[in-house]
Amino acid sequence: MARAVASGIRADFGLLALSVSLSLAALALPAHLRDPVTSLLRRVFIAPLVALQSDAELARRAIVRHDADTDARDSIALRALEVPALEAENDRLRRALGLGRSLGWGFVPAEALHSRALGEEYTLTLTRGSRAGIRTFSPVVAPEGLVGMVETVDPTMSLAITWSHPDFRVSAMAADGSAFGIVKAHLGSGPERYLLELSGVQMSATLSPGTEIVSSGVGGVYPRGIPVGTVIGEVKTSEGWARTYLVQPAVKPFDVSSILVLEPKRVLAGMQSVWAGEDSAHRTVAPPGDSAAHRGGIIIPRDTVPETPADSADAADSGAGGAGGGAGGGGRGQP
Amino acid sequence: MTMAGTIRTAVAFAILVLLHYSLRPLLGWRAEIDFLLIALLLVAVRVRPGAAAVIGLALGLAADSLTPSAFGAGALAMSMVGFGASWLKAAFFADNLALNGFFFFAGRWAFAIIYVLAEHQQRGIELAQEMFVWAPLSGAVTAIAGVIALAVMRPLLEPQST
Repeated sequence: MARAVASGIRADFGLLALSVSLSLAALALPAHLRDPVTSLLRRVFIAPLVALQSDAELARRAIVRHDADTDARDSIALRALEVPALEAENDRLRRALGLGRSLGWGFVPAEALHSRALGEEYTLTLTRGSRAGIRTFSPVVAPEGLVGMVETVDPTMSLAITWSHPDFRVSAMAADGSAFGIVKAHLGSGPERYLLELSGVQMSATLSPGTEIVSSGVGGVYPRGIPVGTVIGEVKTSEGWARTYLVQPAVKPFDVSSILVLEPKRVLAGMQSVWAGEDSAHRTVAPPGDSAAHRGGIIIPRDTVPETPADSADAADSGAGGAGGGAGGGGRGQP
Repeated sequence: MTMAGTIRTAVAFAILVLLHYSLRPLLGWRAEIDFLLIALLLVAVRVRPGAAAVIGLALGLAADSLTPSAFGAGALAMSMVGFGASWLKAAFFADNLALNGFFFFAGRWAFAIIYVLAEHQQRGIELAQEMFVWAPLSGAVTAIAGVIALAVMRPLLEPQST
């Protein structure tokens, strides 16, 4: 009896040692071995659950938006056309549409799903995968600028790291080309954790607060000209050979719901004029959107707003309505 | 455990895993309910410690596949928590909701501490905040949810003989 108990205890500790060893081995796996394993696990076990999670998040947004819609209706009764929520949404969709039109071709629109679970604060789950043309290391952008980079791709979904991820790096420069450096997450504490820092700037280059920082195109992953942020001020470091600047990011990852993933051929084609031309592009689509929404002094639900050709193309491309469709613009592969 | 008991536990386990990917994102709280951990502890107290560690490993690896940069951290934490829970079941597997709640709370806190130390992605104040602010808060809501889940699933897990 005692021997059986001792044998059972030995087996338990053996299985624990095996489990801990396998876990540590998984932690130590290099990326080229780890990614096929995680991809297999995601495809076999997690994909149906992520679809469930996607539906739950959409439901939550609908619930949260329901309160905003109710507030908006109350406001309409009091202040006819002044509906802040609708104006903000119009502005966001106009900007997304403007970016899509400016890009013109070579991008994949997708929904970004957020999770605040441990280890997932700095990643986004994208609702499109390799079947839609997404590849690893593709830049992820929003109308405001750079969001991050696709890390792993499955057939129907992808994972992207945002700029706040400790491993994120982008070669950047001042918009006027007066200084170059590397932008990475500022690993400070509290609110400063969600700032960026531009390091490695030569001592002779002085950047004033408000200077716009864009990707420089060096390295080939990110094309030149994507807005990264604006300089807040210089950070004093012990390095005597280079300057480091604190940068206010152009994009707040937690606010991003519709994103565009740039295809490799679009990255190669460059996009220096895309963000410069985005304002004019979105101005061209603003009047119809406003007039449709405010027709006759009443608010028309989004579903009943007449579709523009761009809307139709996007709906066909994304295959799913909602905000993700609005970001599509002309869709991918339309030179 | 009998075959019927195994099936009942598996059904409860599956329900909790589904809740992790449906109710948790629906709530969207910063301090999240960890239904996977509740599922693990529910099973761990019904199997031998070695089996609990292996179940924790499998569950952790599947969950970790969504965070490739920390792949293995969740598996390590769940293996150790599962083993510990099964080892301590004699002390805590009492028919007392408060004790079970404390069991869930401690399990979630221990999981978070092992996870953040293993993933090596946070440091300084951020690490301390995660370990001593968010982890206990998440442990508390997980404990409440776990106690409610136990109460609701009691007819499923421990059917009364008539």
